[in-house]
Amino acid sequence: MKIKTSKSMIAFQSIACVLLTFGAVICVLPFGIILSGSLTDDAIIIKEGYSILPKGFTFEAYKTIFKVPGEILQAYKMTIFYTAVGTSLGLMMITMTSYVISRKEFKYRDQVSFLIYFTTLFGGGLIPWYLMYANVLNMKGTTFPIWFPGLMSPFLIILMRTFISESVPDAITESAKLDGAGHLTIFGRIILPVLGPGLATVGLFLALGYWNDWYRSSMFSTSQETWELQFYLYNLLNAAASIKQMAMNADIAMADIPTQSMKLAMAVVVTGPVLLFYPFVQRYFVSGITVGAVKG
Amino acid sequence: MKKKLLSLLLATAMLAALAGCGGGKTAADAMDEAGESSAAAEQTKEETEAVQETQEEEEPAAGENKEPAQLDTSERVDLVFYTLGDAPADKEKVQEKINEILLEKVNATVDFQFSTWVDWQQKYSLQLTTGGVDLIYTANWSEYGTLANSGAFLPLDDLLDTVSPDMRELIGESALNQCRVGGQLYTIPCNDLEFTCNGIIYREDLREKYDLPVPNTPENIEAYLLGIKENDPDQQLLDVNGQETMGTVFNFKYPWVTFTGVPYGLAINYDTPQEVNDYWFSDDFLEDMKLLKKWADLGFWSRSALSNTPQEAPLENGLSVMYFAGFNPAKATWVMKDVEEEHPDWKVEFIAFGETTGVIFPANMQTNGTAVSKDCKNPERAMKVLELLLTDKELNDLVMYGIEGEHYEVDENGIYQNLSDKYGYGSMSTPNLRNKDIMIPSEARLRQDKFSTKFEEIGAKTKFPNTDIFGGFTEDNTPYSTEYGAVSNVCDQYLKPLLVGTVDDVDAAVAQFRDKLKEAGIDACREGYKEQWIAYCEEYGYK
Repeated sequence: MKIKTSKSMIAFQSIACVLLTFGAVICVLPFGIILSGSLTDDAIIIKEGYSILPKGFTFEAYKTIFKVPGEILQAYKMTIFYTAVGTSLGLMMITMTSYVISRKEFKYRDQVSFLIYFTTLFGGGLIPWYLMYANVLNMKGTTFPIWFPGLMSPFLIILMRTFISESVPDAITESAKLDGAGHLTIFGRIILPVLGPGLATVGLFLALGYWNDWYRSSMFSTSQETWELQFYLYNLLNAAASIKQMAMNADIAMADIPTQSMKLAMAVVVTGPVLLFYPFVQRYFVSGITVGAVKG
Repeated sequence: MKKKLLSLLLATAMLAALAGCGGGKTAADAMDEAGESSAAAEQTKEETEAVQETQEEEEPAAGENKEPAQLDTSERVDLVFYTLGDAPADKEKVQEKINEILLEKVNATVDFQFSTWVDWQQKYSLQLTTGGVDLIYTANWSEYGTLANSGAFLPLDDLLDTVSPDMRELIGESALNQCRVGGQLYTIPCNDLEFTCNGIIYREDLREKYDLPVPNTPENIEAYLLGIKENDPDQQLLDVNGQETMGTVFNFKYPWVTFTGVPYGLAINYDTPQEVNDYWFSDDFLEDMKLLKKWADLGFWSRSALSNTPQEAPLENGLSVMYFAGFNPAKATWVMKDVEEEHPDWKVEFIAFGETTGVIFPANMQTNGTAVSKDCKNPERAMKVLELLLTDKELNDLVMYGIEGEHYEVDENGIYQNLSDKYGYGSMSTPNLRNKDIMIPSEARLRQDKFSTKFEEIGAKTKFPNTDIFGGFTEDNTPYSTEYGAVSNVCDQYLKPLLVGTVDDVDAAVAQFRDKLKEAGIDACREGYKEQWIAYCEEYGYK
């Protein structure tokens, strides 16, 4: 039987559609402008400003970027490396930690959980953090302090823990235990297989975190070889602004200042892969995050 | 189908938001902490020393033995030299060459580290707090005065005498004195005078074409702009906007002690630094604002100036015929070069405000200096290395220009010619190591020198010959920070419209601005500022 849609329902749906479309357009528009700006002739941007459809269509900006692709490719390589290492290691550690603190029979469960949650409220701050990596571990300039600090976050552990306790009832693990399964078997053969959406969500969070990070490069990189892609981009833009400002006070070696369209083209180059990657995980994303959040 | 499309749209939107804004948070958090870092410097000092990584040699007490002893170089020392800027591509290569020589001469190596321009303020103070550096670039705009006061650097007087007695003569005692903070010397400035005096840049070809006066006073600027407007109504005249207002133009009128305007609307003349007068409440101010209103009404700039953002390179792109905000010879030379390449039929000239008022001076010596960090384990060796980098022709050339034949060559006129984009002119970002006696001039440099010689002549006739008396002053506004904030807000709200001439009634607007200033507590700011300024003048003997 078909439920008849009442007039008020139709009205509601059309209003909702209009509003949501409007909201979506507002979100998409800036990206459209970036894309079109990157394809616009630089002189036109300066004279007439940005537009939604590119005027004076040209690939000049992209050509300039890829003329000497060494630097940007190196940054790409490093970011992919950090993202791959960070996400895989991080996923493993987060899942295992979450499993442990989701077990009711774990004696020190409360204490360990407390230690993890505590860090969300109190942190050492920037200086001890920096000192730890730069002076205690003496790792400044290596890749270690760039991928290591992002491996785990309390938020993701909580998310994962809730996800585990939601999707795997205690009875199942208990019966597995009665059948003689150890923790490794329970974790590997019972818990992991049903964690799909959770892994996708946490993995996406981790991957995006690594992909978007520039700050750790800014702090710990001593040579351009270890720069993250975002930092490479950010530095290029920042150098232009700083030099412009600083030139008032002192004459400073001028780097190549990117043109308007080049800046936008770089933004596209950096965002591109995430755009391609996202649709594949997206279907897990919503379910994963709601399961974790509602009862967290 | 529709639903699918919609959800796809939403998904893309969300993703764009995620990808775009992910990285912001940590930076903001860290920024907050950066503010505390200099305060925390003292506390962390002990911890830092415990974990200090670089040297194993024990620290000889700095400067206790007065007689210039032979430097003990039996043990190798690795130093870190921190500079502000980006690393050149061939940094390692050049550094290796430098270290070969340094190892042979003083058994030391130096590792250049670069802040990059991302968050440089924060990283700069972090380096000093955590003690990872030995030699460090200092400048008045990187808060040399404040940092020196808080004990971030080692006092250098004794070190100079024991390790590098010749340096005093090279730099000059008066230059060293400009770098003293509380009577102590904390940085070794470079010996190269740099004219960073602000001025305007304008289209000389248009002036010649329409036979207009040289725009070197407010009256002449008016005549110049009017002339162009009459002859060529389509030409846009000025790019005035919310960030770059017309305020600077009155530097042509007043012989102030700084080209950027004394804070809190005070007026301090270069010749009488200890007489602190008032500008915002004076009739001069009212008159000046009326002039700006007149210019705005004449249509010299856009009606919506206040909400406009600065244009990218307006002069080069033909969007203005004159440019005010923050122009100095170095910047002007750049624009001139650009214009020469892109519009060979144009001509651009630079006029410093000081050419009209007769008050002109090179940048304060604090602008480019090198300090020794308080955590440096081998101050003697660091000083010796600094001396060598500054005075040894071979080393200085390596640092400043790279490897001869690979990165640069000197042409028959003795001018620097770049050969590789892997290492540019001064590419280690060490303007603090410029030594004018052994410098290889670049073309841009020679262009600037044309200005410098002219300005040096004017500067020599001032009361404090070729001395920037304002540049070494650092204001500490903590005692009146509330009022400071309030006054800044009042300026944003009430002064800016005046400076772009968009008010209806200037008298009323000025009166209102003054009332609001009083309410915001301008007097407290002025009192505090005046006190610090006079104390500063007394300390350095500017009377």
